[in-house]
Amino acid sequence: MISRRSFLAISAALVAGVATCAFAIEYNERHLAVRLDGDVLHVSAPNFRFLSGKSLERLKDGASIAFIAQLTVSSSPNYVVPDAISVARFAVSYDIWQERFSVTKITSRTEDKRTVSHKDGPAAEAWCFENLAISRSDLPANKPFYLQLDLREEDPRDQTGVIGDTGISIARMVEIFSRPVRDKQAHWLLDSGPRPVTVEDLRKGMHW
Amino acid sequence: MSQNASSAILLAVSLGLGITAFDGAARADQALIRAVSESNVNQQYLVESVSISGVEVAHFRDSKLSPTLRHRLASLVGSPCDMTTIGDLARKLQASLHLEDVREHLSRGSSPDRVRVNFEVIHKDYAFDLSVPRFLYDSNQGWTTELAASGRVHQHSLSVGLGSNGDDLTERFTGFSTRYEDAHLFSDRIRFGIGIEGYHDLWNPATRRAIADQAASTNSGVAASNLFALYRTRRNIAPAVTFALTRELSVSFGASLERMEMEAPSPAGNDMSMSANAATVDVVYSYGAEGTEIQQRWDGRYSLRIATHDLGSDYEYSRHAVSLRYERRSGRTVVADRLTGGFIAGQAPVFERFVLGNSSTLEGWNRYAIDPLGGDRMVHNSLSYGYQFQQGTAEAFYDMGMIGNGDRMGTLRHSLGFGFRQGIFNVAMGFPVDHGRIAPVFTAGMNY
Repeated sequence: MISRRSFLAISAALVAGVATCAFAIEYNERHLAVRLDGDVLHVSAPNFRFLSGKSLERLKDGASIAFIAQLTVSSSPNYVVPDAISVARFAVSYDIWQERFSVTKITSRTEDKRTVSHKDGPAAEAWCFENLAISRSDLPANKPFYLQLDLREEDPRDQTGVIGDTGISIARMVEIFSRPVRDKQAHWLLDSGPRPVTVEDLRKGMHW
Repeated sequence: MSQNASSAILLAVSLGLGITAFDGAARADQALIRAVSESNVNQQYLVESVSISGVEVAHFRDSKLSPTLRHRLASLVGSPCDMTTIGDLARKLQASLHLEDVREHLSRGSSPDRVRVNFEVIHKDYAFDLSVPRFLYDSNQGWTTELAASGRVHQHSLSVGLGSNGDDLTERFTGFSTRYEDAHLFSDRIRFGIGIEGYHDLWNPATRRAIADQAASTNSGVAASNLFALYRTRRNIAPAVTFALTRELSVSFGASLERMEMEAPSPAGNDMSMSANAATVDVVYSYGAEGTEIQQRWDGRYSLRIATHDLGSDYEYSRHAVSLRYERRSGRTVVADRLTGGFIAGQAPVFERFVLGNSSTLEGWNRYAIDPLGGDRMVHNSLSYGYQFQQGTAEAFYDMGMIGNGDRMGTLRHSLGFGFRQGIFNVAMGFPVDHGRIAPVFTAGMNY
């Protein structure tokens, strides 16, 4: 027979366990894995899914969806001016017959455009992250830094002015990211965690 | 050069540069939007069919869907699945049908190289619209104008209209009309509607002279004035229930409770008002067949109004009216034929009588010259040929028809004409063929 006190203790332990697991999952989902591949810094988020929910529904309806991703490097978690920035725009679509994703990285120069197809969801997402890189020369050499990834589904209203005659307007993109997220606009914010990263750490191996 | 002139040139150059730069940016943005759509992996497939809310475009019924947009939607069939074009058409549908949203939905077709396109429409829960459904000028018969305000909350809609119409009936009627409709009465296939109208009537001198002449010639003034009793005002309450039997066929059953304030007391007594209460039946058929090169459309309507003393009517009559229309589009050409006819058995009030010689029948003829009292039987045919220029259509038409009373059908009359129509706007010049005389009549306006 379990006493009332024991029952309460077990219940509290279960609740705490579930909460800890949920926090751990959330933590892992919202944190970037960082690695240095030669002279290029790459990020990944293995447990994070952005091809999901309403966006996935629209993709399965045959629509093309553009995602804008902005990876920033800063020497403080609450930066005003970042040390380095990488912005990329991806057009994602879903093959109705093959049930696989196709992703195109859209650039101002047509010859730089890159496309992959026949990818499942995680592979398509991983490809997007893989194409969001920062050169090692742009990283702060002798001081720790933080990484933050701002990813959002592009609002069609933001498309105006993003490209000018000289190509994609970075200023316009930065302006888009400076603005609060609109209602219903899918938006995710991921970072490298509370501990800053150093180039030395990265040389030794992956940083979480 | 003066300073003002220099400033003006500078301003003009600046504006020009500004416009050019803006235009360039806008074009580039369009290119970006296109780049996203063009990367869509489904463009490798051919479009097998196009539907709106699951209904094939050819069978989709909404008067606000223009023939041009319908044609553009239908022409997607057989072409590669271009999401830019599909998105563009979705936005046009949203604007044309006043919708909350239109979502494109692709699904697998009958073979692995084909997809089906469905435009899922999302109606606004609340809608309000102010419109001018009719605005017409006829150089013979003057203006016809209507102003309408309509609102909708879920399936309940209410519209209120004000207008002056000198085109449809023997008299000119000016007043208001309101209509409430419930588009979902137990089921989407059953609709309930009720209309309330109130008009003040003005009679053409030719009509008054014709009644006086008839009274004098028959030596029976009472009979003539009874048959063609003129009224100052009339009010109508018309409830109806409509059953959509199939996608193409619907039947309405209703009543028309019409009350008129007469110009003179009735021969039977001093009562200045008379009633024309009738039971009504309307059968409407509409069918379209969309091929890749030829689009055909058939529309038919039969209306029956039966007024009896049992319904509290002072008049006892039945009025039958039939309208059949066929349209064939091939490339830029449109050929259409519309046949209308009807007859009245019994003694009906003047507003029920048929008229020829207006903006839709025997165009160019003056209806008061044909028959100032209207007729109790009529047949009319209109054949038109149109050629599409960009967004507009140039048209040539040939109308023929005759109107009569009792056993006597009048003379078969003809008219020819041409015009130009763009959307709801049209201008036309009608030439009545009247013993070799040519007296062109100009009409212009907009008509839904």
